[in-house]
Amino acid sequence: MTVKIEASSGGMPHNTIMMYGLIVSVVCIYLTYLNQLTDTQWFAFFGGIGAIAALWWGSDTIKHLCSYGLGTGVPSAGMIAFGIGAIAMVFATKFDIATPIVAIIIAGIIGAIIGYIANSIVNMNIPVMVMSMCELAIVGALTMLGFSAMCAGSFGFNNLVVAAGSGEVIMAIIPELGVIVQSGGPLFGASVIGGSVLAVIFILGAMALQHPFNACLGPNESQDRTLMLAAEVGFLSMIAVAVMSYAFIDGLSATIALVVSLLGWYYTFTQYVALSKRDAFMWLDAKPIREVGGK
Amino acid sequence: MEEIVLGIGITALAGALATIAGAAEDTESDIGSQGDPNSQVQLAPQMGYIHRIFNKAISGEPPAYAAWCAIGAGVAWAFLQIGYNPALAIILGSIVAVFVQGIYCISGYLGRTASLAKFEQPVYIDIIKSLLSVTMAHAFIAIFCTVTVCYLMATVLHAQPFALPILGLLWGLALGAAGSATGNPFYGKERQYQNQNFGAGVPISASGNIVRYAEAGERSSLDNGWFTTKFAGPASGICFGLIVFLELWRTVLFETSLGGWGAIVAGIVLILIFAVINLWVEKWGRETYGPYTSEEASS
Amino acid sequence: MSALGGKAAGGEGINWQGVAVGIVIIIIALGITFAFGSEGLVIPLLGIIIGGALIGFGVHFVPVGGAPAAMGQAPGIATGVAMLAAGAGLAGLFGGAWAFSATGDFLTAVLGGAVGGGMMMAITCLMVNLTYVFAMGVPAASGKVDKDPITGYSFPEYKSQGTEGHGLPFISYVGGVVGGFIAGLGGTLIYIELLLVYSAGLPVLLEASAEAVAPLAVSLAGILAIGFFLINAVLSAYNITGTIEGPHDPKFKRVPRAIIGCAVASAFCGLISILIIVAF
Repeated sequence: MTVKIEASSGGMPHNTIMMYGLIVSVVCIYLTYLNQLTDTQWFAFFGGIGAIAALWWGSDTIKHLCSYGLGTGVPSAGMIAFGIGAIAMVFATKFDIATPIVAIIIAGIIGAIIGYIANSIVNMNIPVMVMSMCELAIVGALTMLGFSAMCAGSFGFNNLVVAAGSGEVIMAIIPELGVIVQSGGPLFGASVIGGSVLAVIFILGAMALQHPFNACLGPNESQDRTLMLAAEVGFLSMIAVAVMSYAFIDGLSATIALVVSLLGWYYTFTQYVALSKRDAFMWLDAKPIREVGGK
Repeated sequence: MEEIVLGIGITALAGALATIAGAAEDTESDIGSQGDPNSQVQLAPQMGYIHRIFNKAISGEPPAYAAWCAIGAGVAWAFLQIGYNPALAIILGSIVAVFVQGIYCISGYLGRTASLAKFEQPVYIDIIKSLLSVTMAHAFIAIFCTVTVCYLMATVLHAQPFALPILGLLWGLALGAAGSATGNPFYGKERQYQNQNFGAGVPISASGNIVRYAEAGERSSLDNGWFTTKFAGPASGICFGLIVFLELWRTVLFETSLGGWGAIVAGIVLILIFAVINLWVEKWGRETYGPYTSEEASS
Repeated sequence: MSALGGKAAGGEGINWQGVAVGIVIIIIALGITFAFGSEGLVIPLLGIIIGGALIGFGVHFVPVGGAPAAMGQAPGIATGVAMLAAGAGLAGLFGGAWAFSATGDFLTAVLGGAVGGGMMMAITCLMVNLTYVFAMGVPAASGKVDKDPITGYSFPEYKSQGTEGHGLPFISYVGGVVGGFIAGLGGTLIYIELLLVYSAGLPVLLEASAEAVAPLAVSLAGILAIGFFLINAVLSAYNITGTIEGPHDPKFKRVPRAIIGCAVASAFCGLISILIIVAF
């Protein structure tokens, strides 16, 4: 005997959440372009904010999809979304300034095809399948794009595959021979993709996408609490990405990202605990089992 | 020759670390009640059984441990890149990973339990206060050992192509898969349903009626960890340790023999040996326990 | 993966309209690849399609019981099907990638990956049975068939009251090993095809030497191979709808749907991942 997946209805309409999530995510990912304009890396943290907006939207999509009962666990939906998102995101980074738009289009197409396969070839026949897979794939691509941009300082393909500082002219001065100028080759192995940090972003995002609904499902699930948890795990993932970004961007910018993510995480975490306290039947500290009916 | 000796040493060390990681992983997931057995902890209040067990709903163990080990490996990789020494980098990576794990634990418990308000299941906040540090400590051991195994693979075994973070993901997933497969039945059937007949599955009609009271007082998840470390933890450790050890062993020793086919032949021979042991175990169980009799079935 | 499954929607039978659309998608993917890089890119795409279909096929062999298995209520391994298969297949991928980088030989690398996946499942299934028999005192019994097709053991009298069976009968054990073997084969095949494409294409794209680009090609192929693996494993898990006992389970008859579905999914995803190396 297993537990039925139950979710609340009502609250903010899903389409509203989708519009907010999509717009905030794309705008924030574009804001990392300020790095190029100002020739700094201070604005890298906007990528993380964009990823959180996408995750926030995606957790509501997962709730809609999984309330139909997939026959397997909620986490699988997060895994397939990021599997698609990884492919679409790496492809899209080649389009320079149009990257986020291309990522949305390509991920949407792949997601729709996977949704069609699940519905029509695998015979799942879930009405919201195609649309949900489409949305989840876009969420996966945008999340990975946002976190990668935060890590590397920008979302261009060349920035993600070549480590910062490589290719610089290295001067070696040897007195007997005069001055020898050597040019270091590009360090592909120390970049976001070349060092496989993208794999960490992949699994961080997949966990953050499925966790909010998986953790909050039940008869008393409420939308605001689930969405607050989505923001909380988003900021939590951003902390880990911020720590990893010390290897790619300068210390000041990485510290800015770390502080922003810690502040955001602290605020959303306390809010989530408060909302849990609001929804809980009782909030007991070191009390014995209270049998049904208060005995 | 020297390279093979070094390789065997690394293989043995990796196997030993993996055994510790597997044991710690399963104990952690049983104390936190993660994965499939947790469905019964979730179900119990619906059946009217209010309990004080940690209801840690973080997906299954394979993706969760893939995430923790990947974070550990990724952060360690980043610190190695900056120039930290490996021991410090791996410890810092494990600390960040275990921080993320702990926060996931809190949100999983609060979320699921608050959503059970309809069935009058209260949130016992002292469960988090007393058990979180225990699960985080076990998770730290599991993550640290796995990331160290991955670091050994990435740096010493030169032919192995992957970078540290991707190894963390691969072996974290395998760790979770091995630990949950071996450990879950022991925790789910043997401990949660200790009130049911030994030597039989839990009847479907008994679902949700988990043991909630202990020898004295009320059962906490720490009691479950105490019980499962006796068998499920070490068994999961042996499972993951064998996987890592034999996978490395067959490749390090037989990579070049038989024109490149040595590792494959060794693997197939190992599979056959395990299959024969399994046949014997199955036969032993059938012959020793015998079929269920009607008396046992009616009791 | 917690099996908090609701009712499974999937019915039996094959939807021919969906299959026809799927085949059209495969042909379009092959055509676009051919237009961009002639046979040089079409053969890797075919390899990726076969690899995806193999993963879909292999996942169906893996005996997974989900939450009921953890209570000894149903046979199989007590975890999620997609993630168990991924654990085995990716452990295989590690062995295959290692063998490929050491020897550079395609056949031994692919088979090495397959053996790695099979060995992971052989050890895991053995430890599952050890737990059931020695720690829980429960003999193995299948709920779906009365007799083990390999050993000939009969099951109904070894099934405890009120359950659908428990443990891993030998047929499920064999299924687990074969499933890990095939899933490892598919995963390693996808990885090697992607690696061949990237190590040939990235040096041209980035105007760098092949040795410098090697770590990048390996990482990119590895990450995307994991992505492919998860897509195909989850699609197969949707086809299985949660739990399966192995090749003797009636649900195994659904396998053609998963093979076609995974082939179509891999074709389109493969197209996009191959186009990464094409300069626009």
